[in-house]
Amino acid sequence: MINPLRKQKIEIDESPVFKPSAEEAGKTWAIEARGITKSFKAGHVKVDVLKGIDLLIEPGEIVLVMGPSGSGKSTLLAAVSGLMKPDGGRVVALDKDIWKMPRSRIDRFRLANCGFIFQGFNLFPALTASQQVQVVLKFMKKKKSERKAAAEAALRDVNLGHRFNNRPDRLSGGEKQRVAIARALAKKPRLIFADEPTSALDGENGHVVMELLRKCAKEQGATVMCVTHDARLAVFADRIITIEDGRITSTNADPAQFANSH
Amino acid sequence: MSLALSTLLFEWRRYLAAVIALALAGVLMLALSAMFIGILQSFTATIDKSRAQVIILPAGASSLGGPGGGGGALPKRVVPLIYRHPEVVEVQDLPGDFGRFYGPGQTSPSMVNIMVIDTSPNGVTLPDDFTDEMRRAIEPPYNVGVDASAVNQLGVKLGDEATINGRTVRIALIMEGYANSQAPGVVMSRQTQRLMGTANDDMFGLLMVRIKNTSAKDAKRVAEELNAMADGQYKAWTKEPLAAATVKDAMSEGLLAIILGFMSVIGFVIGVVITWQTLRGAILANIKEFASLRALGVSIGQLRGVVMELSFWVGVLGIAASAVLMVGITFLAKSANIPMGFELGSSLQTGLLLLLISIMSGALTLGALKKGEPADLLK
Repeated sequence: MINPLRKQKIEIDESPVFKPSAEEAGKTWAIEARGITKSFKAGHVKVDVLKGIDLLIEPGEIVLVMGPSGSGKSTLLAAVSGLMKPDGGRVVALDKDIWKMPRSRIDRFRLANCGFIFQGFNLFPALTASQQVQVVLKFMKKKKSERKAAAEAALRDVNLGHRFNNRPDRLSGGEKQRVAIARALAKKPRLIFADEPTSALDGENGHVVMELLRKCAKEQGATVMCVTHDARLAVFADRIITIEDGRITSTNADPAQFANSH
Repeated sequence: MSLALSTLLFEWRRYLAAVIALALAGVLMLALSAMFIGILQSFTATIDKSRAQVIILPAGASSLGGPGGGGGALPKRVVPLIYRHPEVVEVQDLPGDFGRFYGPGQTSPSMVNIMVIDTSPNGVTLPDDFTDEMRRAIEPPYNVGVDASAVNQLGVKLGDEATINGRTVRIALIMEGYANSQAPGVVMSRQTQRLMGTANDDMFGLLMVRIKNTSAKDAKRVAEELNAMADGQYKAWTKEPLAAATVKDAMSEGLLAIILGFMSVIGFVIGVVITWQTLRGAILANIKEFASLRALGVSIGQLRGVVMELSFWVGVLGIAASAVLMVGITFLAKSANIPMGFELGSSLQTGLLLLLISIMSGALTLGALKKGEPADLLK
């Protein structure tokens, strides 16, 4: 099957039409996405996955993007986080128009500012929890002592102070995801992107992981965009955005509506 | 510890095929040349073990010229020319020959490599591993020594009588360290050689020179000074450069060079293919982890660095494994009396080649990283 998230040949709409509302004008945004479109070809059929999405996230906000499978929420996350170029529209993250930058500068932007948490934990089997966290800091050219201290602090923040020297095969699913969170947070990112972070975990572990993610993000003042279809996570969000069929259906949905859905 | 090294050590089973491929490629290249050098050294054992510091060859000879060869001949009049140097103490020729050996236990004669040495105490051509007892054993006329490895082949034991070129000789010494896989080694005194009628006192293959001070530095200097006096009539060598030149000359000889070259190419290609595929498989097994690093902003260039470092360490392990295998093979060869010789140059060359194989495999593996698109992790 063709993965719709793979890089495709794209055409950029250089002049997105946008008129800010009175309420939006003058505000600063951590993430400002306007008129995002993305389509994929599946055989001879062109599928529009994102159909002109506007997304505004305030600094320090924890935003949950919810929607059914295939609604385009992961594609949206990829587009606003600098992982996949949209066909049209503009993404300004931390005052940088990211898709106008060359790829190497986008990499540097992500290295300096972005943390990612994925559904799979993606931890190197050979590395201990502490090394998993340090490896990214090493690529950021941090000193060894600095790396070690930051890694241990990040692991303590996710309650893994006793697991510094354990490799992934000695960790439970919840612990692995907490290591992945520590890895994402240790570099003190201003933006955190999470894609279905709890879907590989049971309810209890999922709850613990989200609680820790929320606590750490708030402590660091980071902005979180979390994509999920798990309604139970609604309670952790400052704001819930719903998406359906490539269009945003609500920018401030009522969490109660989701609380009742399970 | 770096990501590459940690991964290699922890997931060593995954990389084992590459390490073994490299080790075998190394053995393929090294064992053949070691066996050849061994054969070569078995022919020049008496030169290597002699008490001479300087060796005189004909002016045109670029080396000892491989098995049985001397690169021309030196006329007798060269001997006094060497004595002109004030530091020269003794000049002797080192005759060598082949002969038909017929032992009591043999149904047909064998060709033997005859090594002729001085049996005077501390004689210039007396091998330095010869004890006084060994020297005395072959001192009487027609007494000869046979290498322990050749005893069965020649069908003799200590005290037996045999014939060389039809003359009766007595096996008075069984020695070790003179194994020769091409022609069994027999050692005899200069006097015995004269009695056998094979001595040539007018033309010499080479001359062995003892000098006053035996240090390598002095030997080098005297050789240089002798060469300055040579006037195109001879060329003086010290032992090490002569041994190296002999190996080099022999290695570049037609058929052998082709065989060695062919083996190296085969070893190289097999090494690259197996190492590349193993590395590729190992990288693809961790591709999601690499993709997550990409998402976190680690550049593709930095990840390439990790792959190249990984391939470097695989190469280092391959060299180590190759060395271990070679030690095993050397012991096996020793127990089977197959002489093997190692030369630093060709060993280093093989090591570098293995490293090149692993680095090239790493370079070929870089393409696999493209499969690690971070967007693929969003599902």
